[in-house]
Amino acid sequence: MATRRCQVRLGGTEVELLPERGLYWPERGLLAVADLHWGKSESFQQHGIPLPTGVLEDDLERLSRALRTTGARRLLLVGDLIHSRRGITAAVRERIATWRAGHDVEMVLVRGNHDRHLKTLPPEWRLDVLETHTDEGPFRFAHHPEPATGRYSWAGHLHPVVRLSSGADRLRLPCFHLGPSVGILPAFSAFTGGVDMTRRAGERIFAIAGEAVVEV
Amino acid sequence: MPSNERGALKKLRGWFRGRGWTPYSFQKEAWAAYSRGESGLIHVPTGAGKTYAAYIGPLADVAEGGRQGLQILYVTPLRAVSRDIELALWAPLEALDADILVESRTGDTSSSVRQRQRERLPEVLITTPESLSLLLANERAAELFAGLRSIIVDEWHELLSTKRGTQMELALARLRRFAPSVRTWALSATLANLDMAARAAVGTHATPTLLSSDLERPIEVRTLLPDSVDSFPWAGHLGFSMLEKVGAWLDPARSTLLFTNTRSQAERWYEGLRFARPEWEGLIALHHGSIDREERERVERGLKDGSVRIVVCTSSLDLGVDFGPVERVVQVGSPKGIARSLQRAGRSGHRPGETCHLLFVPTHALELVEMAAAREALQRGEVEPRLPLRKPLDVLAQHLVTCAMGGGFTREAMRAEVREATSYRELTDEEFEWTLALVREGSPTLRAYAEFRRVVEVEPEGRFIVADARIARLHKLNIGTISSDATVQLRYWSGGRIGSVEESYVSRMRPGDTFLFAGKRLEFSRLKDMTAYVKPAKGKVSQTPRWYGSRLPLSGSLAAAVRRTLHAARHGDVTAEELAAAWPVLDAQARLSRIPAAGTCLAETCETREGHHLFLYPFEGRLVHEGLAALLALRFTRLRKATFSLSVNDYGIEFLTSDAFPYEEALRPALFTRERLVEDILESVNLSELARRQFRDIARVAGLVLPGLPGARKSTRQVQASASLIYDVFLKYDPDNLLLVQARREVLEQHFEQNRLAGTLERLEHSPLELLPVRRPTPLAFPLVVERISASLSNESLLERVERLKERWQREDARSA
Repeated sequence: MATRRCQVRLGGTEVELLPERGLYWPERGLLAVADLHWGKSESFQQHGIPLPTGVLEDDLERLSRALRTTGARRLLLVGDLIHSRRGITAAVRERIATWRAGHDVEMVLVRGNHDRHLKTLPPEWRLDVLETHTDEGPFRFAHHPEPATGRYSWAGHLHPVVRLSSGADRLRLPCFHLGPSVGILPAFSAFTGGVDMTRRAGERIFAIAGEAVVEV
Repeated sequence: MPSNERGALKKLRGWFRGRGWTPYSFQKEAWAAYSRGESGLIHVPTGAGKTYAAYIGPLADVAEGGRQGLQILYVTPLRAVSRDIELALWAPLEALDADILVESRTGDTSSSVRQRQRERLPEVLITTPESLSLLLANERAAELFAGLRSIIVDEWHELLSTKRGTQMELALARLRRFAPSVRTWALSATLANLDMAARAAVGTHATPTLLSSDLERPIEVRTLLPDSVDSFPWAGHLGFSMLEKVGAWLDPARSTLLFTNTRSQAERWYEGLRFARPEWEGLIALHHGSIDREERERVERGLKDGSVRIVVCTSSLDLGVDFGPVERVVQVGSPKGIARSLQRAGRSGHRPGETCHLLFVPTHALELVEMAAAREALQRGEVEPRLPLRKPLDVLAQHLVTCAMGGGFTREAMRAEVREATSYRELTDEEFEWTLALVREGSPTLRAYAEFRRVVEVEPEGRFIVADARIARLHKLNIGTISSDATVQLRYWSGGRIGSVEESYVSRMRPGDTFLFAGKRLEFSRLKDMTAYVKPAKGKVSQTPRWYGSRLPLSGSLAAAVRRTLHAARHGDVTAEELAAAWPVLDAQARLSRIPAAGTCLAETCETREGHHLFLYPFEGRLVHEGLAALLALRFTRLRKATFSLSVNDYGIEFLTSDAFPYEEALRPALFTRERLVEDILESVNLSELARRQFRDIARVAGLVLPGLPGARKSTRQVQASASLIYDVFLKYDPDNLLLVQARREVLEQHFEQNRLAGTLERLEHSPLELLPVRRPTPLAFPLVVERISASLSNESLLERVERLKERWQREDARSA
């Protein structure tokens, strides 16, 4: 089944919301994703909680697919790339290095709160690191959702989800939440909970329903 | 016998008589059985003196032995009553000239006392199953328990059919290893399957002695009838329309316990009664499990000394020692079971031979029927059996980690020990190995859990221990099997603790929201470090906390009684005063549809703005209905693609679809076949929320989710994830994980009550179905419609559902624009 994206016009340019849980900006060839939480299962294992590994593999596969289908030249990681220091085990570090070697694109990390656990990232990951934010054309990308003067902000951190219901029929889906001045990206990792978003005036919500992005 | 009786026992008998008591024969038998080295179960009505029956024998031994250290372990399921038990166990010491210490160790024990107890345990220790497990996790556990003479397990019927009971069985097996000659005596009231309960208490290696008495507790049960059932609600559970009548009936001259089924209901009734009878201020009090311990103790003291006359309470006062002066018991809302009614009634006239007085207060019209049925079943003495659980592996996993911390274990010895617990007597080698693997490497599929270590095996003897101090600390926080949401302390800004509420409740509140708690009107300020700060609120309050775990299903015995009662009403027999009072409602049911007969099953179809409804009334209780609803929905969807909203209550099931569904065609006997029952249940379980919900508890017990305890360190935040999320991860990456298998089995056995479900299907398959189209929801349907709580089952694709929901949303937007 073909995936369905949603086009949105913002700040005089067009962006695409991807069902792979990312934002693509064709004009700049830029793919932005947030809250990847690499090594989360492994953090749990280190604390004596037996969670299976496998999330990372799927997440990397989905990220590769997003890069491939968009043909992005740059990947912007909008914070919370890693879950905790202990989760970045030798095996995780190596797996990511191998994945990185297979992608010839520029990768930039804007640090989030979880990323502070790791002072320096493994050099073989070849990531450029920005501490707070990056401004690109009409947009600002930062981990924490805060408005910026004169720019539309893209952020992560909240892991937004939307509840849909009709009578007793209920669904809870990860979503993009677009406010008038701040847009929040869904958490990229499949192993994340979420915060329920409600739609107020002037806001738009795009739910990720399997292979499609649907405005609700 | 008295001639060769040892000195201490003689003194204790003297003390007993000195208080004006004559030992009952069951007490004398218990003392003799103990001295013969037997273990067993003492089953007598509340207040008859079970505690001393079990305690006097070992106490005499302790006095004679002159040894120090722990010798009698008294386990109670309720830490709130440990203080009363402490006093009761202290009392006979005055007859003895011995250096014997009686102390409690529960979740409420101060850290200084705990510290002292770590050095030396008292001779007599009162504890809870959870605190006992914590002691078993102590490195010196073998040494601490080596001198144990007797273990007394109080209120065994309360523990028996729960994971707490299973945990207790495992703990008992461990204690018998540490002290091979220890004797176990379980104490119980109101139980149908005594033999099974006794065997669970003593383990597989002993034959239990069963002691009962013929002491009778006559019970007088009445139902407070509404003046007119026309103005009486058809649904709901608060019962406020009866408040005024109850207020008029209550009398501070006669001390009364007023039981409600939920804590929020208790809050509302307390508030309502204080408003209705302001002159009772100080005489009336509130008691439930979330209220601060000191306040609860104040209320209990007040009850005993007579200064508090009326207590609005929940199951928090179901158990415990003598309240002495309680004269009357009120039950607001359905008692849900016969044993429960008996137990609550037994809180009054707390003396053998004295009559118990129980008043039922219905909260809606159909509860009148339940109360008539309960009264009849009480007279027949149809108490529900309580069945021990079958080898839950999550409890075993937790216990293995506990034992690994408490000195460690070897594989063969541990396997044999675990099988001595009756619940695990059929544990296979494979299941034991799986569970051991679960706590060692996460799962038999080693590779998947590369970084996981909890229990490690050390050479040379192959001892399993916990080597990592951090894992040990986390495990201690996690010990126990009581499932509850993370709790948050409630405190005033100015200081002062009020109690605890569930985190999910607090997380929904915004600063400035007002609510009712512990009879106080409070305003929420902020949540910080698992503490909710509040201040007194002015004016009306907007909400009352809702707690989980408050919905008890109708028991099998009571459900059967309700079917009989309705059947009688259908044929015009309304001699029971409750039925006469409920008649206008039953009559409306008869006119719109029919009153259900015992030999048929009533079904109603109805079309409303909400969609197309099917109501089915098997009258088997909420749990069976949940299972049946998921099963039938699955079988319906095989006939035609549809999404059902399901709603269940103790009486029946509602199926609701947006589009028309050929219910009539679907409702053939084949629908209820027991063929492929387990397969179909499993298939519907995979689709529904049941296993996911069940997994919440399993994940907690097995240590996959860490409770958000106030004492938890910040570092555990990185490993907080909801059980639901973990369930998804397992389902995708380790679908054969035994804990998922267990979740399914528990759904089968408990949620679906598999045996009861099979019995229900058999009944439905062979009894004619009475299918009637109705113009609007009938009195029986109404509660299902009103209180719609549902699981959703669908075989439509995700996208189709989203599109449909979206259409709705847009239509509603357009309407409101």
